[in-house]
Amino acid sequence: MIALLLVLTLQTTKVPDAAQFVGAPQSTPLQGSQLDTRTIEIAGQLRCPVCQGLSVGDSPSAMAMNMKEQVRELLARGYTREQILAYFEQSYGEFVLLKPKFRGVDSLVWLLPLIALAIGGALVVMKMRKLERPVATTPSDAGDEYVNRVRQLVEKE
Amino acid sequence: MNRTVLVIGILITAAIVALFAFSFGRDPQHINSPLVGRVAPRFALRAVGTGEVIDIESLRGKPVVLNFWATWCMPCHAEHPILQQAARALGSDVQFVGVVFGDTEENIQAFIRERGEAYPTLLDDKGKTSIAYGVGGVPETFFIDRNGKIVAKYEGPLSFEMLQTYVRKVLS
Amino acid sequence: MTATLGNFLILAALLVATAGSMVGFAAGCSGTPEGLKWAQRFAYAFAALMALATIVMEAALLSHDFSVKYVSQVGSRAVPAWVTFVSLWSSLEGSILFWGFILGLYIAGTTWVNRNQHVDYMPYAIGVWLGCAAFFSFLIAGPANPFGSVSPVPLDGPGPNPLLQNHFLMIIHPPFLYLGYVGMTIPFGFASAALLRGRLGLGFLRPLRASLLLPWIFLTVAIMLGGWWAYEVLGWGGYWALDPVENATLLPWLTATAALHSAIVMERRGVLKGWTVTLVQASFLLTILGTFMTRSGVFNSVHSFTQSSIGPTILVFLAVAILFSVITLAMRIESLEAEGKLESAVSREGTFLINNLLFVLLTFTVLIGTVFPLIVEAVNGRQMSVGRPYFDAMVVPIGTALLFLLGVGPALPWGRPRRDEVKRALLFPLIGGIVLAGIGRALGVTNVWTLITLLFGGYAAWVTMAEMWLPLVQRMRRGDSFGTALVQGQLRRGRRRFGSYVVHAGMVVVIIAIAVSSTMRTSHEARLSRGQSAKIGSYDVTFIGAETLAEPHRQSTVAHFRVMSNGKFIANLAPRMNQYQMMREPIGTPDVHSTLTGDLYLSIMNVDVGTQNAGVLMITTPMVAWIWISVILMGLGGLVALISRP
Repeated sequence: MIALLLVLTLQTTKVPDAAQFVGAPQSTPLQGSQLDTRTIEIAGQLRCPVCQGLSVGDSPSAMAMNMKEQVRELLARGYTREQILAYFEQSYGEFVLLKPKFRGVDSLVWLLPLIALAIGGALVVMKMRKLERPVATTPSDAGDEYVNRVRQLVEKE
Repeated sequence: MNRTVLVIGILITAAIVALFAFSFGRDPQHINSPLVGRVAPRFALRAVGTGEVIDIESLRGKPVVLNFWATWCMPCHAEHPILQQAARALGSDVQFVGVVFGDTEENIQAFIRERGEAYPTLLDDKGKTSIAYGVGGVPETFFIDRNGKIVAKYEGPLSFEMLQTYVRKVLS
Repeated sequence: MTATLGNFLILAALLVATAGSMVGFAAGCSGTPEGLKWAQRFAYAFAALMALATIVMEAALLSHDFSVKYVSQVGSRAVPAWVTFVSLWSSLEGSILFWGFILGLYIAGTTWVNRNQHVDYMPYAIGVWLGCAAFFSFLIAGPANPFGSVSPVPLDGPGPNPLLQNHFLMIIHPPFLYLGYVGMTIPFGFASAALLRGRLGLGFLRPLRASLLLPWIFLTVAIMLGGWWAYEVLGWGGYWALDPVENATLLPWLTATAALHSAIVMERRGVLKGWTVTLVQASFLLTILGTFMTRSGVFNSVHSFTQSSIGPTILVFLAVAILFSVITLAMRIESLEAEGKLESAVSREGTFLINNLLFVLLTFTVLIGTVFPLIVEAVNGRQMSVGRPYFDAMVVPIGTALLFLLGVGPALPWGRPRRDEVKRALLFPLIGGIVLAGIGRALGVTNVWTLITLLFGGYAAWVTMAEMWLPLVQRMRRGDSFGTALVQGQLRRGRRRFGSYVVHAGMVVVIIAIAVSSTMRTSHEARLSRGQSAKIGSYDVTFIGAETLAEPHRQSTVAHFRVMSNGKFIANLAPRMNQYQMMREPIGTPDVHSTLTGDLYLSIMNVDVGTQNAGVLMITTPMVAWIWISVILMGLGGLVALISRP
């Protein structure tokens, strides 16, 4: 009798389901080593909410372990990475995503270093051109500071 | 006077000062929950002790105070009597529900035996309910209105006054 | 009584620093020797007052004088004397006082060393230093005053932050960090003096370089110690969590490293003067920015002190310091401009320019990644994160490019090398790279970036070794004995060169160790009851049992494990889980079995004493010990280079 009751109650418990948030799985279920690597990859992109900037993949906290388990389960059910990230984003907010999206203002975090590289690179090339001594000097007077100074003055005229 | 250096430098200074001046006073630990204003994710969990399954949707019509906690969490110990007291005082208007995550049933039963229980405590299954609610640590409390919509979320142990303020908000 | 004495000393220091700063600037403008003498006296007086104030505070701490506010906040009769001693830097107010003490040491020391030299620069330099000193005195006297008096006097105090008590690294990491951070004030003063003077002679380069190198050494060691501490204490098996405060320590290190390199080009060719000065100033400003990030409570970080009121004060100082730098630079950068020329872009000089570009780019990227969430929240109120996936994607390519330069730069000859010279210089070291990458591949490295790192690392190691021992080889070819060649060539004459290459060698080891340890780590979670074993790599880990320990400030559960490998006993490890009164989450303390090839790291996820069950996270990380070992190389190399004669 007790066993029967237990079975009944077990059947009726229900946790919030990902389908409630992001719909049906859009990919094929994963298993084996493929499941392991994908789990690690996605867990590395989720921020552990009880830690300081650590990812769910890195953190040993109970919360992170649960979240990692959840990721694994969703992958095993055939959810895609985008769906899983969106699922966590819906409950924790954008804060949970460690990798900024390339979208709107956020794309600047990716673009600014590239822009800096372009500007910096241009500046270095310009500086190098300015600093580089012209090749035309003959070896005999290359080391002679005085001759160079005079040549520079003449070239400036 | 090198104008370029001056202008770039002043722009950098202005940007830094403006940015950090804005950031003063905000609490970096506080994260806004995207669930506020949305319908509470549905769950049905088994209560510790009674074994009764409580479905959050069956509680519609009465506001719910949903408290996530654990026995290993020290601030939860401080918060426990406040919640019990409030549940006894407000029990007719508001349904209090506890959800425990990352803990064992024996620990919870021992805890309850020692400190009393005025409302059902549900056992989360592998933290899945906590994840769906975006719980970032315990204790954390959600205030859900009659229609099942989340009105507010509070992180950390509640004081009695704080709890009253939120309950009033959820009742109105 | 103690509080009054302390306050008096701090106010006197504030007065002396303010007056000394004004005297310094005035003496710089007028050029009177008498003015310089007075500025020097003020500098010594400031140092003496700060030292006295620090002694008064230490005395109060050690004698448990709870009438002093700071002692009542961090003191406790229950903790051992050494904890009481180091609690000077365990909390905000005390650490700022400690900062002032170190600043005094630096200022007085540098003033003394240069008492009869560089007389045209020194007054300005002292003026700038004492200006900074005045700010910190103000901070200690006002917003972060540790010398408040408490009444009624409590009988006992709470003791310092429990997290700081549980590892010896917590005692030495902060002083090194302060020695690095505070020390950047000195080159900042020198650079500002050069700008205010409107020239930067070759003779002045030496004190500038030395004053930059010394805090650089401390900062290098401090960063590594911080990583080691995180590894030994935080329980996730890593050493760099990209926490905003960790990033903040890296920023001035990057610009200072760039400045140390551009100074070499400046010394050799007389170019890049304005640029070097800019980098030196930026390094100082970034230390202040880092202090702000740690102390303002604006960032979400393990290192954040509780919300403090000194944030706005530091921000004002930061703004003033940036404006001062910008204005002096804008006024004088042209008068510092190039006197010399480079022979060719394809030369060692050329690679220095690219080195500087990459270091600045790295600084910018880390800074942007760190403050970007704040920017987004300021602009549209959204809370977002920038974490490891971002930094991996951005920093790894730049770091790899720098490692490439670490090999190619020193391989290239100075001046205008001939084409065949270039070819010969660049081709040979490839052997080193290919061999190392081959070994890595054979040992199972599959990650492309790690293989590239090994290739470039082997290349750089080859070049570094060849360059490091070149003077020795040359001397021995000339007929010197090995001993004479070693002493004369490496340690007496070429100390600076030798030291630099030792640092390079350390850097190569660090980068390889980071690449290998972060990509080759394996982890395994196991749930064990008493007597059960789990396997990771070649290790068999057996759970022996768990016990609970009650301590005054925390409750700990210790789990005992026995580690065997192929039937042989390796170690007993006892990671623990600590529950502190003030923390929402329990904090684990891991236990590590460390070897030169790799570490076994055990961290408890959850443990139950009643049922004797434990969830344990087991991590094997290859080569991680080499990161700490290379600190010794880099620190010693830096010291050798520092004590060189030109």
